[in-house]
Amino acid sequence: MSDRGYEILSIDDLDRYPTTQGSQILRPLRRRIGFRPFGVNVWVGEAVGDHVIEPHREPEGTEELYVVVRGLARFTVGEEAHEAPAGTLVHVPPGMFREATAQEAGTAVLAMGGKEGEAFQPGAWEDFFVAYAELRGGDPQRGRAAMQEALERQPDEWQGPYNAACFEALAGEADAALEHLRRAVELNRREVERYAPDDTDLDSIREDPRYAELLA
Amino acid sequence: MSLVHVDDLQAIELPDGFVWRPVRRRFGIRAFGVNAYTALGPGGQIVEEHTEATLEHEEIYFVLRGRARFTIDGDEHELGPGELVFVRDPQLRRGAIALDEDTVVLALGGRPGAPHTVSAWETMFAAVPAAREERWDEAIALHEEALAEQPDSAPLLYNLACMEALGGRHVDALLHLGRAVELEPKWAEQARQDPDFAAIRHEPGFPV
Repeated sequence: MSDRGYEILSIDDLDRYPTTQGSQILRPLRRRIGFRPFGVNVWVGEAVGDHVIEPHREPEGTEELYVVVRGLARFTVGEEAHEAPAGTLVHVPPGMFREATAQEAGTAVLAMGGKEGEAFQPGAWEDFFVAYAELRGGDPQRGRAAMQEALERQPDEWQGPYNAACFEALAGEADAALEHLRRAVELNRREVERYAPDDTDLDSIREDPRYAELLA
Repeated sequence: MSLVHVDDLQAIELPDGFVWRPVRRRFGIRAFGVNAYTALGPGGQIVEEHTEATLEHEEIYFVLRGRARFTIDGDEHELGPGELVFVRDPQLRRGAIALDEDTVVLALGGRPGAPHTVSAWETMFAAVPAAREERWDEAIALHEEALAEQPDSAPLLYNLACMEALGGRHVDALLHLGRAVELEPKWAEQARQDPDFAAIRHEPGFPV
């Protein structure tokens, strides 16, 4: 953000973060400009057939609008499928299934979302997404900075330290991973016990005696 | 499915020469503000010259198609498809001219830290075609519909009073104008200069 009070950019200037599963690429707009009223990001499917919007629902009540800004997407919402060329707007209420695939290389979708009656709070998923993508891309330091933002944003939610534990375990930093895991257990033992045993992200610390102490 | 191409959105030509393509209203979106704008042709206004000083919205203007020349705080910037301007400071004057025949600009906005509320101007804009043809009952009904959800919105009450004054419903106009001024006294000043109220300006009960 410049001190002019406004900023100009192209979606091509945004960072480029491939997802762990699936094929879509996140180009984080909200994070980059610090837009505060609601969530807004760009998603890209690079090759024909790639996902642009991953198959998901928004169970937490987020209402979303997708705008195809480049290329041609095939949207499935509920059970209906539609071809959506650039300029198409697709509205999806919370809870309804949705996904989109690229029918042309480089198809890009501007996605915005928020909850009715609530002031917007950025979701930690964006930080997690960026952190893991930076780690996979070979820059754990930048990834750690994104993870730190999530921890600061939601200091009392177990998901922050839990994901930080996964991140550090993947990065091979056992001490840091176990410290985060200890904090996650403190915040919500039940949820950590539910996810940790089958979470391959934690494999590198599973044999550490401290892991067994935490999750006996 | 709720899916529409931007070219198939309703096109409401506004008195200032730009064309409003209601998006939020089309889908009944409640969580955030989003609209599209087109122009009457190259060189035509596409984003009205304005500030967000009253609503305190942060806004993103995204060029979906074609090219537009934005003027932000006196600086000119030419933007093409996939380019955007984020205006954080609500005090900055902003506006844009379309440079291509088919330019489309998306406007995304809202007030940070607050749940989204539907802006009164959306109802006023939506009532423009009816008001232009003096179909006052229809223009009034649009405002009543919006007021059912936001009964204490002073700008909605004020605009309703305008439609009622123009439509010959003088008693209702005075009632709603009075209520608007009671909620936000600044509307009295506006009312004194507003030609919409010519027919009721000298009635007893007109705010002075």
